[in-house]
Amino acid sequence: MSRLADLVWRFPSVVMAWRNLGRNRVRTALATLGIVIGVVAIASLGIAGVAIQQQATTNLGGLANEVTVRSGVDSDTDGVTDEQVDAIRSVVADAPVVPKRTNSTTLSSRDGEEAFVSVTGVTNADALYTVSTGDSPERLQSGALLTNETAQRLGVELGDPVTYDGRLYRVRGLVESGDGFGSGSELVIPIAALDEQEGYDSVTIVAANGDEAQETVSTLESRFNEGDEEKLSITNFASIQENVNSFFDTLNLALLGIGAISLVVASVAILNVMLMSTIERRGEIGVLRAVGIRRGEVLRMILAEAAFLGVIGGVVGAAASFGTGLIIFDLLADDYTLVFGWASLRYLGYGFGFAVTASVLSGLYPAWKAANDLPVEALRG
Amino acid sequence: MAQPMTVIALENAVKRYHTGGEVIEALAGVDFGAERGEMVTVIGPSGSGKSTMLNLVGLLDTPSEGVVRLDGRDVTDFSEDQLTEERRSEIGFVFQAFHLLPMLTAAENVELPSMWDTARDRSDRAADLLRRVGLGDRLDHTPDELSGGQKQRVAIARALINEPDILLADEPTGNLDRDTGRTILDELTRLKRDENVAIVAVTHDEQLVEYADREVRLVDGVLQ
Repeated sequence: MSRLADLVWRFPSVVMAWRNLGRNRVRTALATLGIVIGVVAIASLGIAGVAIQQQATTNLGGLANEVTVRSGVDSDTDGVTDEQVDAIRSVVADAPVVPKRTNSTTLSSRDGEEAFVSVTGVTNADALYTVSTGDSPERLQSGALLTNETAQRLGVELGDPVTYDGRLYRVRGLVESGDGFGSGSELVIPIAALDEQEGYDSVTIVAANGDEAQETVSTLESRFNEGDEEKLSITNFASIQENVNSFFDTLNLALLGIGAISLVVASVAILNVMLMSTIERRGEIGVLRAVGIRRGEVLRMILAEAAFLGVIGGVVGAAASFGTGLIIFDLLADDYTLVFGWASLRYLGYGFGFAVTASVLSGLYPAWKAANDLPVEALRG
Repeated sequence: MAQPMTVIALENAVKRYHTGGEVIEALAGVDFGAERGEMVTVIGPSGSGKSTMLNLVGLLDTPSEGVVRLDGRDVTDFSEDQLTEERRSEIGFVFQAFHLLPMLTAAENVELPSMWDTARDRSDRAADLLRRVGLGDRLDHTPDELSGGQKQRVAIARALINEPDILLADEPTGNLDRDTGRTILDELTRLKRDENVAIVAVTHDEQLVEYADREVRLVDGVLQ
């Protein structure tokens, strides 16, 4: 015998199981197909849940990590003062702090088209806005940013001028619209343009993530607001993000539950197939026992058959689910590479694990029954 | 030699079956022994208890009363797991319907009883046994590529793989034509001497009786 054959025969239960499965290929294939469907159901639904959740999180935008500070009801100044902004800067250390002044105006194009836009004056625009075309200057001194959609409606292109309060600003970049709540059409210009206003309408602090944002909220609360007094109103959307996450966790669990049902059905099919095949081979197993094969060895052989069905079904199912995942992410997020993330890949692992576990559990009873059949009874057939 | 000549013995063995409230006595006190190097045939009409007797001798079943001795040891009250170990090391089986596993080659079928002893490679002995029964060129054939006589020779080789003291044959020529049956019996006779085993064969076949050193007749569960 070759070396490879020597090696595989170190695991006789596995070799015997493999050969036994090969004896009735159609039955093996059908039993495996059931497992494949179960795995695809679990893994694909899991991945779909992840894709939907990621998409929803993306839509909420950077809001979760942004802290917005406005003048509170107990404040005696109009808006947030420069002193307060400096104080905030000293508290949050590294995170960008962007004071804003806001207004609104109507922009009109040469051919008479009009658009109502909110006007935001900032200094460091790049901390808040992601530019799709053009550039986002670190310090917005002269130019302007405009939301894509508005620019299209008015026929404004990069470099074209827009007018606010009698002054011209060249559009230097186009930003995505609809990024977060309440941001429809927006014109972003240097804060100097809104100089007539006293104080700032709001201050946005961009934290590294939702957790840090919430930390910032509590730090600022204790720094500026004593007791019930609200000098500054400090808000953050992380709590919304948390609610959204917990909703999707529930949704995912429900989806997995549905997937698990199909795997339960598949394992019942495995139980049936294993039971039938051991009953058919009763005499043969009797011969094995007669010639001195131990009960545990028969048990291992039949469990190995069940495990093989699970492993094959699991591998094929995981591969199919991976393909499904690529399609799901491509459709929902326009980026199929997201499927490589652990959040979605782990569902392939879950599917595979469930498949093998369910198959082995289904094999237990037939294996136990076959192993404990008295050889003299089994030989009688 | 220190080995007792009688390797397997039944002493006043009784076997009763309970079926439908009725008690059937398949064996009614049988004394039987077989020695190394002899072939004993057990003959008798169907229903006389031949199969039951072979099951007791083969340690596949235990008697309701009486004693089973293997190499002088009382194995009557052995558990199923202990009996499995004894069957594995001491007893070889040859069946009327061959009972080879279809997905294994001839050589693998011969190795089957020792297959799970991964510490011991029996492939050389398997090939040697197959050569001795004239199947040296059929090692890698599967049972469906072999004739009836060839299958029975593979079965005989399988029965001898673990160097047993006893070879039990249940109608070993029952599925074979007369000429093939004769070659199988020649083979058994030769191996009986070479391997110094006791052969106990249950049969209707008079041809087999000719080859036997001794015959016992069983009628209604009693040896005549």
